Amino acid sequence: MTQIKYMLLISRQGKVRLQKWYVSLPNNEKTKIIRNLTSIVLSRKAKMCNIVEFGDHKVVYKRYASLYFVCGITQEVDNELLTLEVIHRFVETMDTYFGNVCELDIIFNFEKAYNILDDMLMCDGSLAESSKKEILNHVKTMDTMEHNDHLDRVLS
Amino acid sequence: MVPYSQAAEDVKQRLRPFGIFFEKSLKDLIRGIRSHNDSPENLDKFLQQVLSECRDEVNSLDLNMKTNAILKMTYLEMYGFDMSWANFHILEVMSSSKIQQKRVGYLAASQSFYKDSDILMLATNLMRKDLKYAGGNDTVKVGIALSGLSTIITPSLAANICDDLFTMLTSTKPYIRKKAVTALFKVFLEYPEALRDNFDKLTAILEDDDTSVLSAVVSVICELSKKNPEPFISLSPLLYQLLITIDNNWIIIRLLKLFTNLSKFEEKLRPKLLPKILELMDSTSATSVLYESMNCIIKGNMLEYDDYDTALQCLERLSTFCESQDPNLRYISCGLFYKIGKINTDFISRYDKLVIRLVSDIDVSIRSKAIELLKGVVDDDNIKDVVTSLVEQLVDGNETSENMELETPFIDKLNVSPIYFPEEYKIKIVNTIIDICSMDNYNNISNFEWYNAVLVDLAVLCQDIADETLGIRIGLQFRDIMVRIPDLRSATISTVISVISNEDVSSQLPSVLKYCYWIVGEYSNYIDNGNDLITLLMEKEHPDQETKHILVTAFMKIFSNWSNSGHVEITTVKETLDRLMTYLEPLSFSNDFELQERSVEALEFLRLCSEALEDQQDELPVLLTEVLPSFYNRYELKPIAMGTQEALQQNIEIDLETPFLKDEDLKLLLEEEQYNVTSDNCSIISTDSVMSNQGKYIGYSYQDNGIDRGEAESLQESRNEGIKKMELEIDEDKKLNPYYLNDEPESGLSPKLKNNLLGEQITSPRQNKVSIDIRTFDQTKFGLEMKKTRGKKKKNKVKVLPDEIILESPGTPSMDKHSIKSPRIGRPSDSERKISLQSKSRLESFDFSQPSTPQTPSGAFENGNEDLEELRKKFAEQNFDVGINDNGNYSDEEVVVIRKSKKKKSSSKKKSKQEETPMLDKQKEEVN
Repeated sequence: MTQIKYMLLISRQGKVRLQKWYVSLPNNEKTKIIRNLTSIVLSRKAKMCNIVEFGDHKVVYKRYASLYFVCGITQEVDNELLTLEVIHRFVETMDTYFGNVCELDIIFNFEKAYNILDDMLMCDGSLAESSKKEILNHVKTMDTMEHNDHLDRVLS
Repeated sequence: MVPYSQAAEDVKQRLRPFGIFFEKSLKDLIRGIRSHNDSPENLDKFLQQVLSECRDEVNSLDLNMKTNAILKMTYLEMYGFDMSWANFHILEVMSSSKIQQKRVGYLAASQSFYKDSDILMLATNLMRKDLKYAGGNDTVKVGIALSGLSTIITPSLAANICDDLFTMLTSTKPYIRKKAVTALFKVFLEYPEALRDNFDKLTAILEDDDTSVLSAVVSVICELSKKNPEPFISLSPLLYQLLITIDNNWIIIRLLKLFTNLSKFEEKLRPKLLPKILELMDSTSATSVLYESMNCIIKGNMLEYDDYDTALQCLERLSTFCESQDPNLRYISCGLFYKIGKINTDFISRYDKLVIRLVSDIDVSIRSKAIELLKGVVDDDNIKDVVTSLVEQLVDGNETSENMELETPFIDKLNVSPIYFPEEYKIKIVNTIIDICSMDNYNNISNFEWYNAVLVDLAVLCQDIADETLGIRIGLQFRDIMVRIPDLRSATISTVISVISNEDVSSQLPSVLKYCYWIVGEYSNYIDNGNDLITLLMEKEHPDQETKHILVTAFMKIFSNWSNSGHVEITTVKETLDRLMTYLEPLSFSNDFELQERSVEALEFLRLCSEALEDQQDELPVLLTEVLPSFYNRYELKPIAMGTQEALQQNIEIDLETPFLKDEDLKLLLEEEQYNVTSDNCSIISTDSVMSNQGKYIGYSYQDNGIDRGEAESLQESRNEGIKKMELEIDEDKKLNPYYLNDEPESGLSPKLKNNLLGEQITSPRQNKVSIDIRTFDQTKFGLEMKKTRGKKKKNKVKVLPDEIILESPGTPSMDKHSIKSPRIGRPSDSERKISLQSKSRLESFDFSQPSTPQTPSGAFENGNEDLEELRKKFAEQNFDVGINDNGNYSDEEVVVIRKSKKKKSSSKKKSKQEETPMLDKQKEEVN
């Protein structure tokens, strides 16, 4: 079971585009992790493997276009392949949702990306929903409801 | 212009409901950030401005504006701005009835709430309200709340909402069921009682029709079983059925994970599971499933030590993984390889070619994994290649040259940039080289001259690495080779001297020097020009006190061997002696006790020698030819197995009762002591003896004040006599001393030793000055038989001395041949990177067999009170008893007894808990 402790989206320039923490950490710890990881991940070559040992845990990352998807997983959870699979599934889902997703989509619709992630990973960082269709269905329902809210507000 | 601005505000207010904002929206913010990206100062200025706007907006009464501000702040949090100050505003947004706002609120909450107890308390109430499912569109609301639960959950909230969640498990909507199950996981962690009391309800979900619900519940059980597998053993038949029937790979992987956890705990699962998993491996095409199956077999303790078939099946697949183009596959397979090798090294020993190839992979992390495997695959044929390639990597790492290309098979050579080797990796290489070479008493090495050269290379290469332990390891290797391989000592010692004289090495890697000094000292009989060596050592800078300790003794040893080598002129001896004395002079005032003591000892002795040299011009004095060597050359040192010395010491019985001297002996001794005193004209010894015998003999020593001084001439004579006697004694000692492990095999079994402390009494007190009689203390009574084990027949031409061991001693650590030992010197802990992600929860230590009580949290306390009452009663009774047969002294003891009975009581209570477990056991049997 992949148990992801945090997921970060880091751009090639080292900017954080999305961060989701499934463990409670104080703020300075978080920034330290981000700072260290950014330099490690960005310095790795394309042909290198996507698993890095980092402190007391492992980090699985994958690069899609200009974005690095970085996941911290605990040492004893060792199916890194599955973590890669989760990352890929996340990207696929966003791709369908936004239609050919790119970094800008995620920057401008970061709350949507969070929603998709929330639906996919359960609250402790393990995969809750593997079906792309399910997730999209749900996110779209929520969107329509939001839209209705919006309409209500305008009409009121 | 006041009226106008008021009017403008008014217009803005009125437009707002139509979605027309004049504040910055999130999009404006992001665009702004992008347009200010030109310089860091600019960006910072912009962000500060936005942040202060947010502060104003968040205080607004308009919830829309507040929500917008919160959303912006959530975005800014990614730039590292703390937003916890806005927690109360977030709470407000969360409680909004509009889904859109609620969603933003929960999103912000999950990013920002962190152990803020006030806010969590308030959130608890909100949560409970939001979790009330009223049908219709509430699905989404409940969904949002359930997603947000993870960050907000506290034990009290968990206890509060768990009943609501269990009701949701029966909901008609799969979405709610799924969300509820996942939320329950967090609840169980905080409040394990919920799991115990509702175990059946959770089990029931395992039969759910909906795949996503099923997948969620399997995940939850899998995670829970990691923390505490025990309660889930009973589910194994059900789970096994699921594993057989289901065809969703995600769920299969999670089931395998789950079984790994269960099998670790309950080994009876193995016979049933293993065939099924092997079957799965054959049928599946998904790499993840294949990998997970093997992982399950290995980590679930299903691979037996001698199960070659299963191991082979796994290894075959792993080796194809290792050849794959995908670096991730190569990496994780290395990890599994290592684990298989740990179970039995024989499993992996045939894969040497593969491992050696992996060691020069393009990716440093893969190399580093593969290096760990080397210990399992090296043998005497491939060790040279392996070590050479490792040393090459070190060299390349230092120079970051580009001839890496030639070795890496997995890459096209055009776009290769030099690989950066982290320091940790270099340290690992050095440690591994030493580990694999010294393995099994140097079994793999046939050419020790080569190994010496490798060690020198390492010493040179290690200079840049800031790790002291490496120098120590290299030094220890030199020492080991020196001691163990007698045939090669003269070659090794010249290697060692070359290391010492290498300025770079001794300044950059000072930790190696200590061992080198010891070697040149101990084996200085292999050196002809000891005086030159002494000069060399004197000229060097010495890193620390400990090295200097060794150095002082080494000087004495070298001097001793050199001056007695037979071809040295007396004048040079004298000269060297003087130089040594001037060198030692300042050291004898050192702050360091050990150094001071050693140098004072050496200095005093050398002074005596020098005086003797003054007297005798034509030949070396006895003090130099006989006495000095006797300090150091009594025994030859042998390698001793770890723990042997301790084992010997355990059996030593020291007789502290019997006096060394009888009264009449002492009288005699004191008399003769007086002669010495007067002849040497120094009274230290006599005062010593008087002091120590004060009271009893004090009158006696004063009696003999008038002494014959003619005895002085006979001193020299009796000294010579004493030396002869001493030589005999040495031989005697060798036979009897248990610490001296004899070389000849036939005398290997030494007879039972008697305590000869009394049998070999001090015969002549004058000899005390010459022979070191303290050694007789070592000879003690114990009946250990020693046996020297010869190593098995080797192909090696070189004889390597094995460790000396005592067979009988139980304390000797047996070397486990089959385990790959992790390197003794671990990675230096990188405190800066140390980030712990381990989350502790109460679940891990929770006792599920405890019977459920109606009101669990408070119930425990009540129980405790009851016990206390009972105890008090008992105590009163006991007190009463004490009062009856009160003898004053006994009251204390009685109290102790009472305490004991308390303890007993609690332990019996524990037992009664355990008695309730068989229900699970029964089901365990059903599994099999």
